[in-house]
Amino acid sequence: MGFWRLASQQFGKGFGLAFPLLIAFLVAAAVLLVVGENPVEIFVLMASEAFGSDRRIAATLSAATPLLFTGTATAICFRSGVFNVGVEGAFVVAGLAAAYVGFALSPSFGVLLIPLGFTFAAIVAAFWLFIPGYLLAKFSVEEVVSTLMLNFVALGITGFLVNGPLLSELAGNNMTPEIHEQAELVRLMPPATLHAGFLVGLAIVIAYSLWTRLTPGGFESALVGHNKRFARAVGISIPATIILVMVISGVISGLGGASHALGQIHRFVEGFSPGYGFTGMAVALLGRNTSIGILLGAILFGALSSAGTTVQLFSDIPLDIVNVIEGTVMIFAVVELGRLTLPRWLRK
Amino acid sequence: MTAAAALSDIGSEQAQSVSVRIGAVRLSKRYGAVQANREITLSVSPGEIHAIVGENGAGKSTLMRMLQGIEQPDSGEIIVDDREVSFSSAQQAFEIGIGMVHQEFMLAPELTLLENLILGAEPVTRPLGMLSRLDWRSAIESGNKIASMTGVDIDWHRAAGGCPVHIQQFTEIIRLLRRGTRILILDEPTSVLAPRQVNDLFKLLRGLRDQGTTIVFISHKLREVMDLADFVTVLRGGEVRHSSKICATDMASIARHIIGEDPAGQPLIQNRKRRKESAEVLFEVTGLSSPSVAKSYPLDGVAFNIRRGEIVGLAGVSGNGQSELVECLVGLRPVSEGVIRYAGEDITNMPTGDRRSLGIGYVSSDRRQEGLAHHATIEVNVIAGSQRTAPICRNRLIDRRAMRNAARQRLGALSVLYDQLADAVSNLSGGNQQRLVFAREIAPNPGLLIVSQPTRGVDLKGIDAIHQLLGDYRDNGGSAFLVSEELSELLLISDRICVLAHGRIVGELDSEAADVAKLGELMLMRGRRHD
Repeated sequence: MGFWRLASQQFGKGFGLAFPLLIAFLVAAAVLLVVGENPVEIFVLMASEAFGSDRRIAATLSAATPLLFTGTATAICFRSGVFNVGVEGAFVVAGLAAAYVGFALSPSFGVLLIPLGFTFAAIVAAFWLFIPGYLLAKFSVEEVVSTLMLNFVALGITGFLVNGPLLSELAGNNMTPEIHEQAELVRLMPPATLHAGFLVGLAIVIAYSLWTRLTPGGFESALVGHNKRFARAVGISIPATIILVMVISGVISGLGGASHALGQIHRFVEGFSPGYGFTGMAVALLGRNTSIGILLGAILFGALSSAGTTVQLFSDIPLDIVNVIEGTVMIFAVVELGRLTLPRWLRK
Repeated sequence: MTAAAALSDIGSEQAQSVSVRIGAVRLSKRYGAVQANREITLSVSPGEIHAIVGENGAGKSTLMRMLQGIEQPDSGEIIVDDREVSFSSAQQAFEIGIGMVHQEFMLAPELTLLENLILGAEPVTRPLGMLSRLDWRSAIESGNKIASMTGVDIDWHRAAGGCPVHIQQFTEIIRLLRRGTRILILDEPTSVLAPRQVNDLFKLLRGLRDQGTTIVFISHKLREVMDLADFVTVLRGGEVRHSSKICATDMASIARHIIGEDPAGQPLIQNRKRRKESAEVLFEVTGLSSPSVAKSYPLDGVAFNIRRGEIVGLAGVSGNGQSELVECLVGLRPVSEGVIRYAGEDITNMPTGDRRSLGIGYVSSDRRQEGLAHHATIEVNVIAGSQRTAPICRNRLIDRRAMRNAARQRLGALSVLYDQLADAVSNLSGGNQQRLVFAREIAPNPGLLIVSQPTRGVDLKGIDAIHQLLGDYRDNGGSAFLVSEELSELLLISDRICVLAHGRIVGELDSEAADVAKLGELMLMRGRRHD
């Protein structure tokens, strides 16, 4: 532990991205060597697939967009010592809520559909995470368990709805009708899928940065994360802080879900999120809960994802190598997670 | 070794053949600048109950840790059965027969008492390695044999966590005896017990002594020492100050040795201030009670008041309700009965934050866990609590520059030595950390400061500065409630001193009329619990 801690501090000063990443690429290189590939060649190929042209960069940023939201939603809780793993569920219910606004309201609302969709999604997701926040604040229900379980509830509810009441009449199963054209977010670099949700995501990351630095609430929630007893003793209400960060986390998750539904998918389908909430955790951990770290982390994972899909077209290596890299980064990002949970074990 | 064999060892004839069962010769131990133990000589005969008494920090635990093999002495010898021994680990001491019962029991709460009893030395019907069957019957027998001494019936099949504390304690003692402990060391064994349970424990301990077990116990309670022990040793400042047969001494003289008042008196302490408090009562507590928690006394009808411009001290042997009282006053612990008033307003159920905005500051005794956020920056630590007040916060936004300036100014006012505001507060020395805490608490100009153990872990120069600071604050019209284990500190800076014992205020003295002996008498000899 001592070594890793020291090593991660040395490599990880600043954004904390370098150390887990380095290990991940070493592991990936080892795997590639074992299957008889040249790791350097593959990595160069991946880099060019992620950033090699405007279109590839657009694909990377597009893949990074949901992660900006889920990473920030996770970070705001983690920095307060609230181990919220329910961003995934909030993202999914919000996606359905936004899609519902997008197809169920009259197209005569025009572009108003977009703010309506974002607002409704944010409200639904805020309520979604308010529940575990309230349970934790008032009854000390472990948030890890409650938020994790709520993820399954979210999948269950949305799965039922899109196969039942909200099932598209034109589709066989699993999806809602497509949203009205007026509800779709504009594409920034057509034909690439990069859409205006990316700008919303950037705005959220910036707002998060300002919130942490410039508001009493941001100051207090960081103190709660540092030391709960101390925070109480200087007069900060722990329950109120927990509920606050959970609700904000819900709002951000909700905006993310809306952005993905209105900008990317244009409807809600089962399997709406391939684990954006969990990748968002890795982003938050890698980024040490800082705004710049979240931005870089989201782009990194976006790059891995966009490179992964195409790199197997041009080489013999399977898509799985990208998963190996992602998985390893997440494992070593947990080196930081150990630090996050340490004060709890020391709690008397 | 089977349980039966272990038990039959107790009180075997070899017990009579030695003169010193456990002892120490000129044992010394130093931690950094602190001489925790200085040339301690101790001798405990077989089958004796020996009490070790002394204030916090007198060196009792250090001595016990060395006898148990947890710490190694710098010099001197440990004697067991007349022979010099040296332990390199607690395991070695345990094997030789020294067992310790800690204040916090080492039982697994989810296992039954019986499972706890045999844990680590399970009796088996036939030794077959992995295939051995546990011999539950002999386990129960071994337990009952010892328990029968007390007349307490133990239901061995209950989960340990759900049992009354004294049953847990008995189980722990019996567990040690089963595993061959001949010398039992108990650290404040009665601190968790109700009076009836204390009687049962004493019955058990006397029974064990009569069968040859040697018992060393640490205590703060002189009545219990007089009641149970055969011999008493008083430590003060890491040295043995007094050692006597119980029948040859009395409570008053033991108390004097504990407090360190020698017959020549203590002329050193001078009240350096002259108070000018008004008659106005600023803070008033009446009939305050709080629910009990393990390890300490509940508060039981505490009443006192503090006038404007006055420092009221609280004396008491630690663990008599001081920390609970402070937490109630600050709003960190619920109050079950009674009223707390500040400037005429009822604040009994007010949250901590609201009390702070009314003007109540708090210096915690637990600087590490409660007084500071250790990994946070110096700036955050010195600003915390003021993040919603001007000039740091304007229009609901934090002005970063104003925050930095306020931090610098606060730190400067109390001459806290630091390098960068962005450094972690853990980089500061203990004295600087405490000054930082005072800087934070005094900056908003509180009407009342609740201060607990302000000079703990602070060096002499730092102590002086803190006393000066509190005096100046009071002279400028501030009031303070000062909880301290240092009587000299209380006498030096308080105007009045209340004494807390067993969760009640048992006396109140004007500090000019008070001295160490009077306080000591109140602290140690009054306030027996009424049940």
